[in-house]
Amino acid sequence: MESYEKEMSKALKDGGDVPHKINISILKYFWQANPITGQKSSSIPRFLRNSKVLKNFSDYELKILVNFMHQRKFDAGEVIFNQGDLGIGFYFVFSGYVTVFADRYDSESDSEKEKQIAGLEKGDYFGELSLLQDRNIRNGKAVAKERTQLLGLFKPDLEDLINLHPIVAAKLLQSISLIVTDRLMMLTTELKRVKYKLDKVSGKKSD
Amino acid sequence: MIKSKAQEKFRLAFFFIFILCLITAMVGLPRISIPLMVSYVAYLIVFPAVPTLKKLGLSHDISVVLVFLSLLFLVIYPVVRIVPVLVNEAENVQYYLPKVETYVTDNYKKVQEYVYEKTKYELPDGILTNAISYVKSGTTKVLLGVPTYLASILEWLLLVPLFLFFFLRDGSSFKNIVLNLTPNSIFERTYYLSHQLNKKIGDFIFAKFVEASIVGIIITAGLIIMDIRFSLLLGITAGVTNIIPYVGPLLGAIPALLVVLAEYGWGTTLGAMMLLYIIANAIDIFLVFPILVSKIVDLHPVLVVISVILGSQYFGIVGMIVSIPLAAALKLIIIEIYEETYQAR
Repeated sequence: MESYEKEMSKALKDGGDVPHKINISILKYFWQANPITGQKSSSIPRFLRNSKVLKNFSDYELKILVNFMHQRKFDAGEVIFNQGDLGIGFYFVFSGYVTVFADRYDSESDSEKEKQIAGLEKGDYFGELSLLQDRNIRNGKAVAKERTQLLGLFKPDLEDLINLHPIVAAKLLQSISLIVTDRLMMLTTELKRVKYKLDKVSGKKSD
Repeated sequence: MIKSKAQEKFRLAFFFIFILCLITAMVGLPRISIPLMVSYVAYLIVFPAVPTLKKLGLSHDISVVLVFLSLLFLVIYPVVRIVPVLVNEAENVQYYLPKVETYVTDNYKKVQEYVYEKTKYELPDGILTNAISYVKSGTTKVLLGVPTYLASILEWLLLVPLFLFFFLRDGSSFKNIVLNLTPNSIFERTYYLSHQLNKKIGDFIFAKFVEASIVGIIITAGLIIMDIRFSLLLGITAGVTNIIPYVGPLLGAIPALLVVLAEYGWGTTLGAMMLLYIIANAIDIFLVFPILVSKIVDLHPVLVVISVILGSQYFGIVGMIVSIPLAAALKLIIIEIYEETYQAR
Protein backbone atom coordinates (compact mmCIF):
# COMPACT_ATOMS: atom_id res chain seq x y z
CA MET A 1 0.00 0.00 0.00
CA GLU A 2 2.89 2.40 0.73
CA SER A 3 4.13 1.83 -2.75
CA TYR A 4 0.95 3.32 -4.14
CA GLU A 5 1.41 6.39 -1.95
CA LYS A 6 5.00 6.78 -3.11
CA GLU A 7 3.98 6.31 -6.67
CA MET A 8 1.37 9.04 -6.42
CA SER A 9 3.67 11.51 -4.66
CA LYS A 10 6.32 10.86 -7.27
CA ALA A 11 3.78 11.42 -10.02
CA LEU A 12 2.74 14.71 -8.41
CA LYS A 13 6.36 15.88 -8.03
CA ASP A 14 7.32 14.98 -11.57
CA GLY A 15 4.10 16.44 -12.92
CA GLY A 16 2.99 13.08 -14.33
CA ASP A 17 -0.50 11.61 -14.69
CA VAL A 18 -2.66 11.47 -11.64
CA PRO A 19 -5.80 9.33 -12.00
CA HIS A 20 -9.07 11.25 -12.17
CA LYS A 21 -11.15 8.42 -10.80
CA ILE A 22 -10.98 7.43 -7.17
CA ASN A 23 -9.66 3.95 -7.11
CA ILE A 24 -10.87 1.40 -4.63
CA SER A 25 -7.51 0.39 -3.30
CA ILE A 26 -6.66 3.90 -2.20
CA LEU A 27 -9.99 4.13 -0.40
CA LYS A 28 -9.20 0.86 1.27
CA TYR A 29 -5.82 2.19 2.26
CA PHE A 30 -7.37 5.19 3.98
CA TRP A 31 -9.97 2.98 5.61
CA GLN A 32 -7.34 0.66 6.99
CA ALA A 33 -5.15 3.54 8.09
CA ASN A 34 -7.91 5.38 9.95
CA PRO A 35 -7.37 5.65 13.68
CA ILE A 36 -10.57 3.89 14.78
CA THR A 37 -10.50 0.67 12.83
CA GLY A 38 -6.83 0.71 12.00
CA GLN A 39 -5.52 -0.15 15.43
CA LYS A 40 -7.82 -3.10 15.83
CA SER A 41 -7.10 -4.91 12.60
CA SER A 42 -4.13 -7.16 12.95
CA SER A 43 -1.53 -7.69 10.31
CA ILE A 44 -2.41 -11.38 10.03
CA PRO A 45 -5.16 -11.09 7.38
CA ARG A 46 -2.83 -8.96 5.28
CA PHE A 47 -0.14 -11.57 5.69
CA LEU A 48 -2.50 -14.34 4.58
CA ARG A 49 -3.68 -12.18 1.68
CA ASN A 50 -0.21 -12.56 0.18
CA SER A 51 -0.24 -16.31 0.49
CA LYS A 52 -0.67 -18.12 -2.79
CA VAL A 53 -2.67 -20.91 -1.19
CA LEU A 54 -5.44 -18.60 -0.05
CA LYS A 55 -5.69 -16.55 -3.24
CA ASN A 56 -9.36 -17.49 -3.81
CA PHE A 57 -10.37 -16.10 -0.41
CA SER A 58 -12.10 -12.75 -0.07
CA ASP A 59 -10.90 -10.33 2.61
CA TYR A 60 -13.93 -11.08 4.74
CA GLU A 61 -13.35 -14.81 4.49
CA LEU A 62 -9.72 -14.36 5.48
CA LYS A 63 -10.84 -12.46 8.56
CA ILE A 64 -13.10 -15.38 9.50
CA LEU A 65 -10.30 -17.85 8.90
CA VAL A 66 -7.93 -15.87 11.13
CA ASN A 67 -10.38 -16.21 14.05
CA PHE A 68 -9.94 -19.96 13.86
CA MET A 69 -6.15 -19.95 13.69
CA HIS A 70 -3.68 -20.01 16.56
CA GLN A 71 -0.48 -18.04 16.79
CA ARG A 72 2.36 -20.12 18.18
CA LYS A 73 5.82 -18.82 19.08
CA PHE A 74 8.94 -20.93 18.88
CA ASP A 75 12.44 -20.14 20.08
CA ALA A 76 15.51 -20.79 17.98
CA GLY A 77 16.24 -24.52 17.87
CA GLU A 78 12.86 -25.52 19.23
CA VAL A 79 11.24 -28.55 17.62
CA ILE A 80 7.84 -27.87 16.07
CA PHE A 81 7.09 -31.53 15.51
CA ASN A 82 9.06 -34.76 15.24
CA GLN A 83 9.00 -37.37 12.53
CA GLY A 84 6.42 -40.00 13.48
CA ASP A 85 4.30 -37.67 15.61
CA LEU A 86 0.56 -37.67 15.22
CA GLY A 87 -0.13 -34.51 13.24
CA ILE A 88 -3.21 -32.33 13.43
CA GLY A 89 -1.83 -28.93 12.44
CA PHE A 90 -1.38 -26.99 9.20
CA TYR A 91 1.11 -24.13 9.68
CA PHE A 92 1.99 -20.89 7.94
CA VAL A 93 5.34 -19.30 8.68
CA PHE A 94 4.41 -15.82 9.90
CA SER A 95 7.94 -14.78 10.73
CA GLY A 96 11.29 -16.50 11.18
CA TYR A 97 12.69 -19.54 9.45
CA VAL A 98 11.80 -23.23 9.67
CA THR A 99 13.97 -26.12 8.53
CA VAL A 100 12.50 -29.52 7.71
CA PHE A 101 14.49 -32.70 8.19
CA ALA A 102 13.64 -36.21 7.06
CA ASP A 103 15.30 -39.60 7.14
CA ARG A 104 16.95 -40.22 3.79
CA TYR A 105 19.20 -42.94 2.46
CA ASP A 106 22.82 -42.16 3.14
CA SER A 107 25.22 -43.80 0.69
CA GLU A 108 28.27 -43.38 2.95
CA SER A 109 26.92 -45.35 5.91
CA ASP A 110 24.37 -47.36 3.88
CA SER A 111 21.57 -46.52 6.31
CA GLU A 112 18.88 -43.92 6.95
CA LYS A 113 20.17 -40.63 8.16
CA GLU A 114 18.45 -37.38 9.07
CA LYS A 115 18.94 -34.85 6.31
CA GLN A 116 17.68 -31.35 5.74
CA ILE A 117 15.18 -31.44 2.92
CA ALA A 118 13.66 -27.97 2.96
CA GLY A 119 13.90 -24.48 4.43
CA LEU A 120 10.73 -22.48 4.85
CA GLU A 121 10.59 -18.74 5.25
CA LYS A 122 7.90 -16.13 5.77
CA GLY A 123 4.76 -16.95 3.78
CA ASP A 124 5.53 -20.64 3.31
CA TYR A 125 3.31 -23.35 4.69
CA PHE A 126 3.72 -26.95 5.83
CA GLY A 127 1.75 -29.82 7.37
CA GLU A 128 -1.24 -29.49 5.05
CA LEU A 129 -1.77 -33.26 4.85
CA SER A 130 -2.62 -33.45 8.53
CA LEU A 131 -5.92 -31.68 7.94
CA LEU A 132 -6.99 -34.17 5.27
CA GLN A 133 -5.83 -37.47 6.74
CA ASP A 134 -7.69 -39.29 9.47
CA ARG A 135 -4.57 -40.22 11.42
CA ASN A 136 -1.73 -38.26 9.99
CA ILE A 137 1.80 -39.31 10.87
CA ARG A 138 4.40 -36.59 10.31
CA ASN A 139 6.96 -37.75 7.79
CA GLY A 140 9.49 -35.11 8.63
CA LYS A 141 10.88 -33.14 11.52
CA ALA A 142 10.35 -29.39 11.62
CA VAL A 143 12.66 -27.18 13.65
CA ALA A 144 12.59 -23.43 14.14
CA LYS A 145 15.98 -22.10 13.05
CA GLU A 146 15.50 -18.70 14.63
CA ARG A 147 12.75 -17.09 16.69
CA THR A 148 9.69 -18.08 14.67
CA GLN A 149 6.02 -17.27 14.75
CA LEU A 150 3.66 -19.74 13.15
CA LEU A 151 -0.02 -19.50 12.34
CA GLY A 152 -1.58 -22.90 12.88
CA LEU A 153 -4.94 -24.28 11.89
CA PHE A 154 -5.73 -27.55 13.66
CA LYS A 155 -8.18 -30.34 13.02
CA PRO A 156 -10.62 -29.30 15.78
CA ASP A 157 -10.59 -25.77 14.33
CA LEU A 158 -11.36 -27.17 10.90
CA GLU A 159 -14.33 -29.07 12.36
CA ASP A 160 -15.63 -25.88 13.96
CA LEU A 161 -15.03 -23.99 10.73
CA ILE A 162 -17.02 -26.57 8.75
CA ASN A 163 -19.90 -26.23 11.20
CA LEU A 164 -19.90 -22.45 11.43
CA HIS A 165 -18.65 -21.23 8.05
CA PRO A 166 -19.07 -24.03 5.52
CA ILE A 167 -18.13 -21.84 2.57
CA VAL A 168 -14.83 -20.74 4.07
CA ALA A 169 -14.09 -24.34 5.05
CA ALA A 170 -14.89 -25.56 1.55
CA LYS A 171 -12.58 -22.93 0.04
CA LEU A 172 -9.80 -23.89 2.42
CA LEU A 173 -10.19 -27.58 1.65
CA GLN A 174 -10.25 -26.77 -2.07
CA SER A 175 -6.99 -24.87 -1.76
CA ILE A 176 -5.37 -27.66 0.19
CA SER A 177 -6.54 -30.26 -2.30
CA LEU A 178 -5.06 -28.13 -5.07
CA ILE A 179 -1.69 -28.26 -3.34
CA VAL A 180 -2.00 -31.97 -2.81
CA THR A 181 -3.10 -32.78 -6.36
CA ASP A 182 -0.29 -30.67 -7.80
CA ARG A 183 2.17 -32.59 -5.70
CA LEU A 184 0.57 -35.87 -6.69
CA MET A 185 0.90 -35.01 -10.38
CA MET A 186 4.53 -34.09 -9.85
CA LEU A 187 5.14 -37.36 -8.05
CA THR A 188 3.43 -39.37 -10.79
CA THR A 189 5.62 -37.87 -13.51
CA GLU A 190 8.68 -38.33 -11.33
CA LEU A 191 7.74 -41.94 -10.71
CA LYS A 192 7.23 -42.51 -14.42
CA ARG A 193 10.69 -41.17 -15.14
CA VAL A 194 12.27 -43.25 -12.42
CA LYS A 195 10.44 -46.36 -13.60
CA TYR A 196 11.53 -45.70 -17.16
CA LYS A 197 15.14 -45.36 -16.08
CA LEU A 198 14.88 -48.47 -13.92
CA ASP A 199 13.45 -50.48 -16.81
CA LYS A 200 16.20 -49.22 -19.02
CA VAL A 201 18.88 -50.27 -16.52
CA SER A 202 17.37 -53.70 -15.87
CA GLY A 203 16.84 -54.19 -19.60
CA LYS A 204 20.52 -53.55 -20.23
CA LYS A 205 21.48 -56.02 -17.50
CA SER A 206 19.37 -58.83 -18.90
CA ASP A 207 20.85 -58.38 -22.32
CA MET B 1 19.32 -24.09 22.26
CA ILE B 2 20.00 -25.11 25.88
CA LYS B 3 18.25 -22.00 27.10
CA SER B 4 15.17 -22.79 25.03
CA LYS B 5 15.04 -26.34 26.41
CA ALA B 6 15.12 -25.07 29.98
CA GLN B 7 12.38 -22.61 29.12
CA GLU B 8 10.28 -25.36 27.61
CA LYS B 9 10.65 -27.41 30.78
CA PHE B 10 9.57 -24.41 32.81
CA ARG B 11 6.54 -23.93 30.57
CA LEU B 12 5.60 -27.60 30.90
CA ALA B 13 5.86 -27.42 34.68
CA PHE B 14 3.82 -24.22 34.77
CA PHE B 15 1.13 -25.71 32.55
CA PHE B 16 0.76 -28.87 34.64
CA ILE B 17 0.72 -26.90 37.89
CA PHE B 18 -1.97 -24.67 36.39
CA ILE B 19 -4.11 -27.69 35.41
CA LEU B 20 -3.49 -29.31 38.80
CA CYS B 21 -4.55 -26.13 40.59
CA LEU B 22 -7.75 -26.03 38.55
CA ILE B 23 -8.56 -29.65 39.43
CA THR B 24 -7.80 -29.18 43.14
CA ALA B 25 -9.92 -26.06 43.20
CA MET B 26 -12.79 -27.96 41.59
CA VAL B 27 -12.52 -30.83 44.07
CA GLY B 28 -11.93 -28.63 47.10
CA LEU B 29 -14.68 -26.12 46.48
CA PRO B 30 -17.86 -28.13 45.83
CA ARG B 31 -20.06 -25.09 46.45
CA ILE B 32 -18.66 -23.55 43.32
CA SER B 33 -17.71 -26.61 41.33
CA ILE B 34 -21.14 -28.30 41.48
CA PRO B 35 -23.06 -25.34 39.99
CA LEU B 36 -20.16 -24.94 37.55
CA MET B 37 -20.58 -28.54 36.43
CA VAL B 38 -24.36 -28.21 36.24
CA SER B 39 -24.02 -25.11 34.09
CA TYR B 40 -21.39 -26.85 31.98
CA VAL B 41 -23.83 -29.70 31.33
CA ALA B 42 -26.52 -27.14 30.46
CA TYR B 43 -23.97 -25.41 28.22
CA LEU B 44 -23.24 -28.65 26.39
CA ILE B 45 -26.98 -29.18 25.87
CA VAL B 46 -27.86 -25.72 24.56
CA PHE B 47 -24.61 -24.67 22.89
CA PRO B 48 -25.37 -26.19 19.45
CA ALA B 49 -28.09 -23.55 19.09
CA VAL B 50 -25.54 -20.73 19.06
CA PRO B 51 -23.73 -21.64 15.81
CA THR B 52 -27.11 -22.23 14.17
CA LEU B 53 -28.16 -18.69 15.00
CA LYS B 54 -24.77 -17.34 13.97
CA LYS B 55 -25.19 -18.97 10.59
CA LEU B 56 -28.29 -16.83 10.12
CA GLY B 57 -26.04 -13.81 10.29
CA LEU B 58 -26.49 -12.73 13.91
CA SER B 59 -23.48 -11.65 15.91
CA HIS B 60 -22.05 -13.87 18.63
CA ASP B 61 -23.33 -11.78 21.54
CA ILE B 62 -26.84 -11.41 20.15
CA SER B 63 -27.20 -15.13 19.43
CA VAL B 64 -25.94 -15.98 22.92
CA VAL B 65 -28.45 -13.59 24.50
CA LEU B 66 -31.24 -15.02 22.33
CA VAL B 67 -30.40 -18.61 23.24
CA PHE B 68 -30.10 -17.70 26.91
CA LEU B 69 -33.40 -15.82 27.05
CA SER B 70 -35.33 -18.50 25.18
CA LEU B 71 -33.88 -21.12 27.51
CA LEU B 72 -35.01 -19.12 30.54
CA PHE B 73 -38.43 -18.66 28.97
CA LEU B 74 -38.73 -22.37 28.20
CA VAL B 75 -37.51 -23.47 31.62
CA ILE B 76 -39.23 -21.06 34.00
CA TYR B 77 -42.85 -21.84 33.12
CA PRO B 78 -42.68 -25.65 33.50
CA VAL B 79 -40.56 -25.31 36.64
CA VAL B 80 -43.11 -22.97 38.20
CA ARG B 81 -45.89 -25.39 37.32
CA ILE B 82 -44.12 -28.64 38.17
CA VAL B 83 -42.28 -27.79 41.37
CA PRO B 84 -45.39 -27.30 43.59
CA VAL B 85 -46.85 -30.62 42.38
CA LEU B 86 -43.54 -32.32 43.00
CA VAL B 87 -43.19 -30.84 46.48
CA ASN B 88 -46.73 -31.93 47.27
CA GLU B 89 -46.02 -35.47 46.09
CA ALA B 90 -42.75 -35.63 48.01
CA GLU B 91 -44.51 -34.54 51.18
CA ASN B 92 -47.18 -37.19 50.70
CA VAL B 93 -44.58 -39.91 50.28
CA GLN B 94 -43.71 -39.89 53.98
CA TYR B 95 -47.35 -40.50 54.95
CA TYR B 96 -47.59 -43.19 52.34
CA LEU B 97 -44.48 -45.12 53.35
CA PRO B 98 -46.03 -47.02 56.32
CA LYS B 99 -48.67 -48.46 53.98
CA VAL B 100 -45.98 -49.77 51.65
CA GLU B 101 -44.02 -51.05 54.63
CA THR B 102 -46.90 -53.09 56.07
CA TYR B 103 -47.68 -54.42 52.62
CA VAL B 104 -44.10 -55.52 52.09
CA THR B 105 -43.77 -57.11 55.56
CA ASP B 106 -47.06 -59.00 55.13
CA ASN B 107 -46.00 -60.40 51.81
CA TYR B 108 -42.51 -61.18 53.00
CA LYS B 109 -44.05 -63.32 55.78
CA LYS B 110 -46.17 -65.17 53.23
CA VAL B 111 -43.13 -65.82 51.08
CA GLN B 112 -41.21 -66.95 54.14
CA GLU B 113 -43.92 -69.48 55.04
CA TYR B 114 -44.14 -70.69 51.47
CA VAL B 115 -40.39 -71.20 51.16
CA TYR B 116 -40.29 -72.96 54.54
CA GLU B 117 -43.07 -75.34 53.46
CA LYS B 118 -41.33 -76.22 50.25
CA THR B 119 -37.67 -76.36 51.20
CA LYS B 120 -37.61 -76.42 55.00
CA TYR B 121 -35.33 -73.40 54.84
CA GLU B 122 -36.27 -70.41 56.95
CA LEU B 123 -35.54 -67.09 55.26
CA PRO B 124 -33.92 -64.78 57.78
CA ASP B 125 -35.84 -61.68 58.88
CA GLY B 126 -32.68 -59.63 58.64
CA ILE B 127 -32.93 -59.06 54.88
CA LEU B 128 -36.31 -57.39 55.20
CA THR B 129 -35.61 -55.29 58.30
CA ASN B 130 -32.31 -54.17 56.82
CA ALA B 131 -33.92 -53.18 53.55
CA ILE B 132 -36.77 -51.32 55.24
CA SER B 133 -34.54 -49.44 57.66
CA TYR B 134 -32.23 -48.55 54.76
CA VAL B 135 -35.08 -47.15 52.68
CA LYS B 136 -36.56 -45.37 55.70
CA SER B 137 -33.34 -43.72 56.75
CA GLY B 138 -32.69 -42.79 53.13
CA THR B 139 -36.02 -41.09 52.68
CA THR B 140 -35.93 -39.30 56.01
CA LYS B 141 -32.45 -38.09 55.19
CA VAL B 142 -33.74 -36.69 51.93
CA LEU B 143 -36.77 -35.14 53.60
CA LEU B 144 -34.76 -33.66 56.46
CA GLY B 145 -32.27 -32.32 53.98
CA VAL B 146 -34.91 -30.34 52.10
CA PRO B 147 -34.20 -26.97 53.80
CA THR B 148 -30.47 -27.18 53.05
CA TYR B 149 -31.24 -28.29 49.51
CA LEU B 150 -33.56 -25.35 49.11
CA ALA B 151 -30.87 -22.98 50.31
CA SER B 152 -28.32 -24.37 47.90
CA ILE B 153 -30.90 -24.49 45.12
CA LEU B 154 -31.58 -20.80 45.64
CA GLU B 155 -27.87 -20.21 45.33
CA TRP B 156 -27.84 -22.36 42.17
CA LEU B 157 -30.77 -20.45 40.71
CA LEU B 158 -28.53 -17.42 40.70
CA LEU B 159 -25.21 -19.07 39.90
CA VAL B 160 -26.15 -21.56 37.19
CA PRO B 161 -27.70 -19.03 34.78
CA LEU B 162 -24.80 -16.67 35.42
CA PHE B 163 -22.18 -19.34 34.73
CA LEU B 164 -24.17 -20.62 31.77
CA PHE B 165 -24.36 -17.19 30.19
CA PHE B 166 -20.63 -16.64 30.46
CA PHE B 167 -19.86 -20.17 29.32
CA LEU B 168 -21.91 -19.45 26.21
CA ARG B 169 -20.36 -16.03 25.67
CA ASP B 170 -16.72 -16.54 26.63
CA GLY B 171 -16.26 -20.30 26.33
CA SER B 172 -14.11 -20.06 23.22
CA SER B 173 -11.89 -17.28 24.55
CA PHE B 174 -11.26 -19.24 27.75
CA LYS B 175 -10.29 -22.19 25.56
CA ASN B 176 -7.86 -19.95 23.70
CA ILE B 177 -6.24 -18.77 26.95
CA VAL B 178 -5.60 -22.38 27.99
CA LEU B 179 -4.31 -23.20 24.51
CA ASN B 180 -1.93 -20.24 24.61
CA LEU B 181 -0.54 -21.53 27.90
CA THR B 182 -0.03 -25.00 26.46
CA PRO B 183 3.67 -25.61 25.81
CA ASN B 184 4.77 -26.20 22.23
CA SER B 185 6.05 -29.72 22.75
CA ILE B 186 2.69 -31.11 23.83
CA PHE B 187 0.41 -28.63 22.06
CA GLU B 188 -0.94 -30.74 19.20
CA ARG B 189 -1.51 -33.82 21.34
CA THR B 190 -3.18 -31.86 24.14
CA TYR B 191 -5.42 -29.95 21.78
CA TYR B 192 -6.48 -33.07 19.90
CA LEU B 193 -7.10 -35.14 23.02
CA SER B 194 -8.99 -32.43 24.91
CA HIS B 195 -11.11 -31.78 21.85
CA GLN B 196 -11.92 -35.48 21.48
CA LEU B 197 -12.72 -35.80 25.19
CA ASN B 198 -14.87 -32.72 25.22
CA LYS B 199 -16.77 -33.81 22.15
CA LYS B 200 -17.32 -37.36 23.39
CA ILE B 201 -18.45 -36.31 26.84
CA GLY B 202 -20.58 -33.51 25.46
CA ASP B 203 -22.28 -35.77 22.94
CA PHE B 204 -22.76 -38.40 25.62
CA ILE B 205 -24.36 -35.99 28.08
CA PHE B 206 -26.58 -34.55 25.37
CA ALA B 207 -27.68 -38.02 24.22
CA LYS B 208 -28.30 -39.21 27.76
CA PHE B 209 -30.30 -36.08 28.53
CA VAL B 210 -32.52 -36.65 25.50
CA GLU B 211 -32.86 -40.34 26.33
CA ALA B 212 -33.77 -39.72 29.96
CA SER B 213 -36.30 -37.04 29.09
CA ILE B 214 -37.97 -39.24 26.46
CA VAL B 215 -38.32 -42.14 28.92
CA GLY B 216 -39.39 -39.81 31.73
CA ILE B 217 -42.03 -38.11 29.60
CA ILE B 218 -43.48 -41.40 28.29
CA ILE B 219 -43.71 -42.90 31.78
CA THR B 220 -45.08 -39.74 33.43
CA ALA B 221 -47.72 -39.38 30.72
CA GLY B 222 -48.70 -43.05 31.01
CA LEU B 223 -48.94 -42.91 34.80
CA ILE B 224 -51.01 -39.71 34.66
CA ILE B 225 -53.40 -41.36 32.18
CA MET B 226 -53.66 -44.42 34.43
CA ASP B 227 -54.29 -42.03 37.33
CA ILE B 228 -51.64 -43.59 39.55
CA ARG B 229 -50.45 -41.68 42.60
CA PHE B 230 -47.08 -39.90 42.58
CA SER B 231 -47.04 -40.12 38.79
CA LEU B 232 -44.73 -37.13 38.37
CA LEU B 233 -42.29 -38.28 41.04
CA LEU B 234 -42.22 -41.83 39.66
CA GLY B 235 -41.76 -40.57 36.08
CA ILE B 236 -38.85 -38.34 37.05
CA THR B 237 -37.29 -41.20 39.06
CA ALA B 238 -37.58 -43.46 36.02
CA GLY B 239 -35.99 -40.79 33.80
CA VAL B 240 -33.07 -40.15 36.15
CA THR B 241 -32.34 -43.80 36.88
CA ASN B 242 -32.50 -44.50 33.15
CA ILE B 243 -29.11 -42.82 32.86
CA ILE B 244 -27.55 -45.82 34.62
CA PRO B 245 -27.05 -48.56 32.03
CA TYR B 246 -28.61 -52.03 32.47
CA VAL B 247 -29.61 -51.67 36.17
CA GLY B 248 -31.19 -48.23 35.82
CA PRO B 249 -34.53 -49.19 34.23
CA LEU B 250 -35.05 -51.88 36.90
CA LEU B 251 -34.18 -49.46 39.70
CA GLY B 252 -36.62 -46.94 38.27
CA ALA B 253 -39.44 -49.51 38.08
CA ILE B 254 -39.15 -50.72 41.71
CA PRO B 255 -40.81 -47.73 43.43
CA ALA B 256 -43.67 -47.74 40.93
CA LEU B 257 -44.10 -51.49 41.44
CA LEU B 258 -44.31 -51.04 45.22
CA VAL B 259 -46.78 -48.17 45.00
CA VAL B 260 -49.06 -49.99 42.56
CA LEU B 261 -48.90 -53.26 44.52
CA ALA B 262 -49.69 -51.56 47.83
CA GLU B 263 -52.48 -49.52 46.30
CA TYR B 264 -54.19 -51.87 43.86
CA GLY B 265 -52.77 -55.33 44.59
CA TRP B 266 -52.35 -57.92 41.86
CA GLY B 267 -54.58 -56.87 38.99
CA THR B 268 -54.99 -55.06 35.72
CA THR B 269 -53.42 -51.83 36.98
CA LEU B 270 -50.21 -53.67 37.80
CA GLY B 271 -50.24 -55.26 34.37
CA ALA B 272 -50.83 -51.93 32.67
CA MET B 273 -48.06 -50.28 34.67
CA MET B 274 -45.58 -53.02 33.86
CA LEU B 275 -46.56 -52.83 30.21
CA LEU B 276 -45.97 -49.08 30.30
CA TYR B 277 -42.45 -49.51 31.72
CA ILE B 278 -41.68 -52.26 29.24
CA ILE B 279 -42.90 -50.14 26.32
CA ALA B 280 -40.95 -47.08 27.47
CA ASN B 281 -37.76 -49.11 27.85
CA ALA B 282 -38.35 -50.89 24.57
CA ILE B 283 -38.62 -47.54 22.80
CA ASP B 284 -35.43 -46.53 24.58
CA ILE B 285 -33.53 -49.72 23.76
CA PHE B 286 -34.66 -50.21 20.16
CA LEU B 287 -35.11 -46.64 18.94
CA VAL B 288 -33.34 -44.03 21.04
CA PHE B 289 -30.26 -45.93 22.15
CA PRO B 290 -29.09 -47.20 18.73
CA ILE B 291 -29.57 -43.79 17.13
CA LEU B 292 -28.19 -41.55 19.85
CA VAL B 293 -25.98 -43.24 22.38
CA SER B 294 -24.38 -46.38 21.04
CA LYS B 295 -22.14 -44.68 18.50
CA ILE B 296 -20.79 -42.26 21.06
CA VAL B 297 -19.73 -44.65 23.78
CA ASP B 298 -18.41 -47.76 22.12
CA LEU B 299 -17.54 -49.52 25.36
CA HIS B 300 -17.80 -53.28 25.66
CA PRO B 301 -20.80 -54.33 27.83
CA VAL B 302 -18.44 -56.03 30.27
CA LEU B 303 -16.51 -52.78 30.69
CA VAL B 304 -19.79 -50.90 31.18
CA VAL B 305 -20.90 -53.27 33.94
CA ILE B 306 -17.51 -53.17 35.64
CA SER B 307 -17.34 -49.38 35.59
CA VAL B 308 -20.91 -49.08 36.90
CA ILE B 309 -20.10 -51.44 39.78
CA LEU B 310 -16.88 -49.60 40.60
CA GLY B 311 -18.68 -46.25 40.42
CA SER B 312 -21.45 -47.42 42.72
CA GLN B 313 -18.94 -48.77 45.20
CA TYR B 314 -17.08 -45.51 45.60
CA PHE B 315 -19.65 -42.80 44.89
CA GLY B 316 -23.10 -44.44 45.13
CA ILE B 317 -25.80 -43.50 42.65
CA VAL B 318 -23.86 -40.47 41.40
CA GLY B 319 -20.92 -42.76 40.74
CA MET B 320 -23.11 -45.06 38.69
CA ILE B 321 -24.23 -42.14 36.52
CA VAL B 322 -20.78 -40.60 36.12
CA SER B 323 -18.91 -43.88 35.63
CA ILE B 324 -19.73 -44.33 31.92
CA PRO B 325 -18.39 -41.01 30.60
CA LEU B 326 -15.36 -41.38 32.85
CA ALA B 327 -14.70 -44.88 31.51
CA ALA B 328 -15.11 -43.61 27.94
CA ALA B 329 -12.65 -40.79 28.62
CA LEU B 330 -10.15 -43.18 30.15
CA LYS B 331 -10.48 -45.49 27.17
CA LEU B 332 -9.78 -42.61 24.78
CA ILE B 333 -6.67 -41.56 26.70
CA ILE B 334 -5.37 -45.14 26.90
CA ILE B 335 -5.92 -45.67 23.17
CA GLU B 336 -4.11 -42.41 22.45
CA ILE B 337 -1.13 -43.45 24.57
CA TYR B 338 -1.16 -46.92 23.03
CA GLU B 339 -1.08 -45.58 19.50
CA GLU B 340 1.54 -43.05 20.44
CA THR B 341 3.86 -45.72 21.83
CA TYR B 342 3.19 -48.71 19.59
CA GLN B 343 1.89 -47.65 16.21
CA ALA B 344 3.23 -44.25 15.34
CA ARG B 345 6.86 -45.27 15.12
